[in-house]
Amino acid sequence: MIELNEKLTCQVAHLARLELTPLEVKVFTIQLNEIIQYVEKLQDVDVQGVVPLVHPFDGIAFLREDDIKESLLGLDGKPKILQSAQDIFEDSFKVPSIF
Amino acid sequence: MRTIRQIHEALEKKKISVVELTRDYLNSAQKSKNGEYITFCEERALQQAQEADDLLRLEKKVPWAQKPLFGIPIGLKDNLTLDGVRTTCGSKILDHYIPPYTASAVERLESAGAVILGKLNMDEFGMGGSNENSAFGPVGHPTHSDRVPGGSSGGSAAAVRANLCVASLGSDTGGSIRLPASYCGVVGIKPTYGRISRYGLIAFASSLDQIGPLARTVEDAARLLDVLSGYDPLDSTSSNIPPLQAYLASQSVPHWNRLRFGLPQEYFSGGLSLEIEKSIQNAMQWLESQGAQLVPLSLPSSQYAVAVYYLIAACEASSNLARMDGVRFGVRSQEAAETTDLTEFYQKIRSDFGREVKRRIILGTFALSLGYSDAYYKKACQVRRKIKLDFDLAFQKVDFIIGPVSSTTAYRRGEKAIDPLKMYLNDIFTVPANLAGLPAMSLPCGEDQEGLPIGLHLLAPPFCEEQMISVAQAFSKRGEGSVRGF
Repeated sequence: MIELNEKLTCQVAHLARLELTPLEVKVFTIQLNEIIQYVEKLQDVDVQGVVPLVHPFDGIAFLREDDIKESLLGLDGKPKILQSAQDIFEDSFKVPSIF
Repeated sequence: MRTIRQIHEALEKKKISVVELTRDYLNSAQKSKNGEYITFCEERALQQAQEADDLLRLEKKVPWAQKPLFGIPIGLKDNLTLDGVRTTCGSKILDHYIPPYTASAVERLESAGAVILGKLNMDEFGMGGSNENSAFGPVGHPTHSDRVPGGSSGGSAAAVRANLCVASLGSDTGGSIRLPASYCGVVGIKPTYGRISRYGLIAFASSLDQIGPLARTVEDAARLLDVLSGYDPLDSTSSNIPPLQAYLASQSVPHWNRLRFGLPQEYFSGGLSLEIEKSIQNAMQWLESQGAQLVPLSLPSSQYAVAVYYLIAACEASSNLARMDGVRFGVRSQEAAETTDLTEFYQKIRSDFGREVKRRIILGTFALSLGYSDAYYKKACQVRRKIKLDFDLAFQKVDFIIGPVSSTTAYRRGEKAIDPLKMYLNDIFTVPANLAGLPAMSLPCGEDQEGLPIGLHLLAPPFCEEQMISVAQAFSKRGEGSVRGF
């Protein structure tokens, strides 16, 4: 059985861009181990030849035409999609530089 | 005057106006100390109500054929977007989020004449079964203050029971409509996956989420279902089939002697409270007395449903919630705004997630990571197919499956809050319907000695909501003598 330790919890949290407090690392490691131990019961199931089901009605999708539509505009004439952003520059979202 | 039919009659007889009705509901809801609502849209609601009154003055009668929800005050779970109205998902991370568009399901309600009162409290991003995981505080049980209302659509169920809206919308990923409906004693329906467009429902687990109605009566829930159902080009998983006629079905008497109800042995073996077992048995006896046939059956893979569900839901959530990065929406703290490091920026933003959300994102990220995804995610999806195959086989022998919604009635606040696994195991009866995409509902069927409601769980084959509604309506009217079968 795979066992999560505090180091692995921190590694996974980092992958998910989550910053945990030392207490959260401790508590989550214990709780997640309990959950992982519980889901281990799936290893007993014989699934040889069973195709994974990722969607209740697999293979069915109802696609629309890929038509271009106008952006929704707010009362100020700017795209409405910008209205909930905390930091924008002209018509763009602003993020810290990656370089 | 608590049902749609009663309200429409009162409006036609001019006993009340839509504005007065809306004000009454808003006043009661705003006075409540139980935390059902997160945000009210008072101005918008009164505007809609005024327009309805103007129309009523002109038409002289309720235009129910075109607007079946004319003037009806409705609440929305706070994970459904409403243009210009704050939508938080019960999370601090979306505290100030103002969506630029309205969910398709909500647009349909508004087109049908509904008046939207506000946004209802919920477990953060739908993660929880007690409504104790909201950044905006817990929701209290509508009749027993020491109990939880169930979750994650706790606000939606409690508000209906407490008369703070006539009906509400919830969403059900693993039981989030049915569990609170059962705990609060209202009707809650999770339709077939694809029956109602999810466009504008902020995603938790996309292959499991489904929007559905909560109401005081089956008839009212059916009216909402009719309005909500139907193909939406904006959701590629919405089924391209005609809308439901569930209300019509609610007015028809089931052909009892042709109906077979499956009783899965796994749903009645151990762990079920005696009072719930008794209530379900009473329901079975009533069905049998109408002429229906009870068929014992087995769903052998259902014992794995909770494990499958928590892996798949966590994996999908870890992917869906990656969008909560503080760039296009969400709260950006001073610390995040000041950093020049992108990784640190995301970490500061995402520290606003609550503990349950963080826990599930970590579980999902872990189960999808290289070296573990075959053992966890893929395996869970394989067992999911076995669970669905069990139902496919069962529905060759029976028309419906019945059982409990939960093994206990509403439990005490804080009772399961510190033990996530214990909380997860409480979903044992509800998650299979989501994994298999089936329609299912919780229907009040009694109370325990303390007066806490008990829900009867009714599951049907895919896209058989009308038949399910017909049976549910007859069951809810048992004792009235008008629906005895033949």
